[in-house]
Amino acid sequence: MDGPLFKQALLGSLNWLATNHEEVNRLNVFPVPDGDTGTNMLLTLQSAVEDIKESNAAEVSKIAKLASHGSLMGARGNSGVILSQIFRGFARAVEGKSSLTPRELAVAFEEAANAAYRAVNKPTEGTILTVAREAGRSAAAAAGDDDATVPSVIAAAAAGARAAVLKTPSQLQILRDAGVVDAGGFGLQIILEGMLKSVEEVESFQVDTTAARPKAAQIALDLPEGGWGYCTEFLIDGTNLDLDQIRNEIEALGNSVLVVGEPELVKVHVHTDDPTRVINLAGGFGKILKLNVGDMSTQHKRILDSESAAGRPPRANGVGLVAVVAGPGLVEIFRGLGVDAIVEGGQTMNPSTQDMLTAVDGVPYNEVVLLPNNGNVILAASQVAGLTKKKVHVIETRSVPQGVAAVVAFRPERGGADNAAAMKAEAARIQTIEVTHAVRDTRSNGLKVKKGDVIGLINDKLEFAGADYAEVVNKALGKLGPDAYELVTVYRGQGASDDEMANLESAIRSNFPGLEVEVQQGGQQHYPFILSVE
Amino acid sequence: MTSKRRFAVVTDSTADLPDEWRARYGIEVVPLKVIFGNETFRDRVDMSDDEFFRRLAAASKLPTTSAPSPGEFAEVYRRLAENHDGCISIHLGAQLSATAEAARIGAESVAGFRVEVVDSQTVTMPIAFLCRVAAECETLEVATAAVEARVPKTRVLALLDTLRYLEMGGRLNRAQAMIGTMLDLKPLLLVADREIKPVERVRTRSRAISRMVDYFRGELPVEHVAVMHAQAPDEAEKVAAGLRAELPGQEVAIGKIGCVLGTHTGPKALGVVYIKK
Repeated sequence: MDGPLFKQALLGSLNWLATNHEEVNRLNVFPVPDGDTGTNMLLTLQSAVEDIKESNAAEVSKIAKLASHGSLMGARGNSGVILSQIFRGFARAVEGKSSLTPRELAVAFEEAANAAYRAVNKPTEGTILTVAREAGRSAAAAAGDDDATVPSVIAAAAAGARAAVLKTPSQLQILRDAGVVDAGGFGLQIILEGMLKSVEEVESFQVDTTAARPKAAQIALDLPEGGWGYCTEFLIDGTNLDLDQIRNEIEALGNSVLVVGEPELVKVHVHTDDPTRVINLAGGFGKILKLNVGDMSTQHKRILDSESAAGRPPRANGVGLVAVVAGPGLVEIFRGLGVDAIVEGGQTMNPSTQDMLTAVDGVPYNEVVLLPNNGNVILAASQVAGLTKKKVHVIETRSVPQGVAAVVAFRPERGGADNAAAMKAEAARIQTIEVTHAVRDTRSNGLKVKKGDVIGLINDKLEFAGADYAEVVNKALGKLGPDAYELVTVYRGQGASDDEMANLESAIRSNFPGLEVEVQQGGQQHYPFILSVE
Repeated sequence: MTSKRRFAVVTDSTADLPDEWRARYGIEVVPLKVIFGNETFRDRVDMSDDEFFRRLAAASKLPTTSAPSPGEFAEVYRRLAENHDGCISIHLGAQLSATAEAARIGAESVAGFRVEVVDSQTVTMPIAFLCRVAAECETLEVATAAVEARVPKTRVLALLDTLRYLEMGGRLNRAQAMIGTMLDLKPLLLVADREIKPVERVRTRSRAISRMVDYFRGELPVEHVAVMHAQAPDEAEKVAAGLRAELPGQEVAIGKIGCVLGTHTGPKALGVVYIKK
């Protein structure tokens, strides 16, 4: 397998995943509108393939490297991040190779799975990780045959993936309860099948480039005087390109500089006030391809509010704050607490590593605390640290209440590491109750839930189902034990009516007279109520 | 003790000087003023604390406060000049009030009487501590040196039940303090080095109190300490009892926040105030 064939295989997998990603989405095991696994994987793969489309590299190693970098930059959601690690492992395994024997391809598949395992703190069986490993094993077994070919090894990997996907319900209780297979694993299976289809077919796939790029998470940044300048991206096509030299020269003209690639093709990303100068400079190295210049001021202006940027003096500790959050009220709350940049996103709109990287690089501090505020965003957030020159502390906040508690604990006089430790400790004290409706019939955590039921999650775990909000919240507060707490903050979402809000508030006050109740307009989607108990 | 001394000690009503110290050391207290609409009251003279906070809660418009005039200071100094060689006049932080400036101008108009005006850079009982330090000195020179050495070591840790009063009085910039307007936060404020800065933001009162005590522990050792409150005697007593248990041999006074300061803190303010060693 050489560069062009691997490129074709990846384009084929993108095409096949684009066709099937809705099906992956439908496999959400949890009865809440969860992280859009299929969409996240598709966006990640699109980003992986984006640079490859422009590359004529003959070597498989170069294509693999571009895929690795592209997927890392575009990784979204847990499955997307794991997918990016799979590409990374693959790229490492094929480093320096111009083409792969069937045997070497199988080894690369196995190494890809190993890299994914290493990237996850607590690997869980019955997920995309298991599927990646089984695909690798199956490929290795097939490569042992005397008449093994590249297609036969990919076919074996795809078959191994399929078999592993079917077994995921026996490995994970929540899948078994919900009667589904693992969505991320299924996504990987689709990707391998897409590869197989394309390498088997004589003519190459026409990739559907019209597939609308799903809505990208928006980033709200404080707008400095004179704006952010222009996000300028292009490729330089040349020979013996010196990446370090290009990087050094471009760094003098802007910030958030990324110069990656190979001596023949270099991808450049820079935020600059003078794109013309950057382009002229780059034109001296080689041919400019795929030039894209975006005015970041217009991109960001509409989400800025007037109060935030003005009148804020530089912070004594030199530490910036970036939070992932969605919902106008919640955005306002985080801003009011001093957060410098908001990356819009959350439960159903997982921001990419790139979105968070842009926000981190955009704040005027060299040290940044990043708050993902959602379990599905943590992994993508944790990638940011390796991609920026800034020192990044990711506080693993799994919910909005944890995020608020963390920000409240931030002290502008205290150094980054000490702040991060204090913020983490405060976040851990908070109990989160999320109230929403089940999107499908399911059994989870021993509960039988019908589509449309009100359900209550305590710290991400489904605990109660019922007919109305007040009933579910009463049960959840009762389970937490109200005597141990003082204050309940209710973040009201878009879906909650005035009556429902009033009923819930009076129910909490009358059932738990010892608790103080504070109501805030969160404006979040999907969760009529999020409660912080402390 | 006072008979030996040839200099007087003067302060203002924001020192929250306990009556007992005032009597024991013969300290002069010049009142600031609280203005409700068109009624003017002298702080701690015309209105009791309880009466003040009752009116504050009921007022549709917040009262304003004003420094004593230079003329009022001059009057006090002139009276003291009759049987003293000089005086030390220790006042509310100049970053917060024109009181010290008024004292300085007032002093200039009393010829032949030496007045050492000290800007305490702080509020409430640390000023009272400084007065006591001065009163226990033999000479005005020694007293002035002793007080000025302690000014940079004064600290007020304050827990406000709401920031409404401080903000309306123009003494706090929320954006600067990183305190949003949305959430009901209980900020722990520190008055030190001519600044009011938030040291901690906490969401519940009981945690805020324990954070305040934690912060204070990190500041030990201290020379003087008191617990201040506005209409929160039980909590103040509890905090003081805890500190006394932790600091055997250390006097831990309890003081009440007066009207002028209370206009900015609002009711239920609680503080630990001290002079660091």
